[in-house]
Amino acid sequence: MLQRSLPRGPRPRIVLFWLALAVPAALMVADLARGMLAMDLLHPTGELSLRLMVAAMMVGPLIEFFGANRFLAGWLAIRRHLGVAAFAYAALHLVFYAIDMGGLRPILAEFTLPAILTGWIGFALMLAAASISNEAATLCLGRRKWKRVQQGVYLAFALALAHWVLLDRAWGPALIHLAPVLIAWCFRIAALLRHSKGTV
Amino acid sequence: MTNCKRLLAGAAAAAALLAAAPALADGGIVCKAGPQENWQPMSKLKKKAWMEGWKVTKTQVEGDCYEVYAHTEAGMAIEAFFHPVTLEKLVVFRRGSEIYRKKGFTG
Repeated sequence: MLQRSLPRGPRPRIVLFWLALAVPAALMVADLARGMLAMDLLHPTGELSLRLMVAAMMVGPLIEFFGANRFLAGWLAIRRHLGVAAFAYAALHLVFYAIDMGGLRPILAEFTLPAILTGWIGFALMLAAASISNEAATLCLGRRKWKRVQQGVYLAFALALAHWVLLDRAWGPALIHLAPVLIAWCFRIAALLRHSKGTV
Repeated sequence: MTNCKRLLAGAAAAAALLAAAPALADGGIVCKAGPQENWQPMSKLKKKAWMEGWKVTKTQVEGDCYEVYAHTEAGMAIEAFFHPVTLEKLVVFRRGSEIYRKKGFTG
């Protein structure tokens, strides 16, 4: 047990995971260098960030219903990395946004618009969750506080969806991304009901 | 109502919500512009946007409208829709909220 909590080098599959996830970012930066507009990279970065967030949020409820089979256990093992990667793409989204806006003044001028403010608050919540996504922070904060900050990601997810709906004036894409999370939560509720029935 | 039935009812409600999604999606502007061969060239649209004092980032065809992404002189990031035949400015959005609409335009 003691040995497990000692720091160790990253596992090969985690290294592979990060290498794979760096590919879209590298391609996007290459596109930008080749003259693609920064504004055209906002959708790809935002959507990828949201999808990674969805992937990180789904696995917990699914395990509660199906139990930790091999597939789900493997998924759970990379959950933290999925979350941090979601934050990394949100950060890249912000970089492209800054490039598109071309300065601090126009960014500040629209900071309080609902469609933009939702994005900023969502990003701040993701930053908080990502910055404590390591063993040391878990120990330092204590399980409850740590979990409270991680749960902020649910709010970040809702805000990110609102950000998308408000900017594009369309519900469809955001609802499609909401659906898998809702379905996973249906499984979570089903598991809770099953459990409460079993104990009565 | 049993718990299972309640769960099914919840799932049905969620499904109905999702099915209603396309009906809610109404982000598109309709210009009723007619056949494309009558449209003004894109270069004229760019000139028109330039005359507004905007720094144009991108112009494109969106549905049956011309769409311009630009930054105004004040630095505002905007998205404007123009009629492809008359090149009239119809609607301007700033980060999803409408800040201009031509009088009488309902598209």
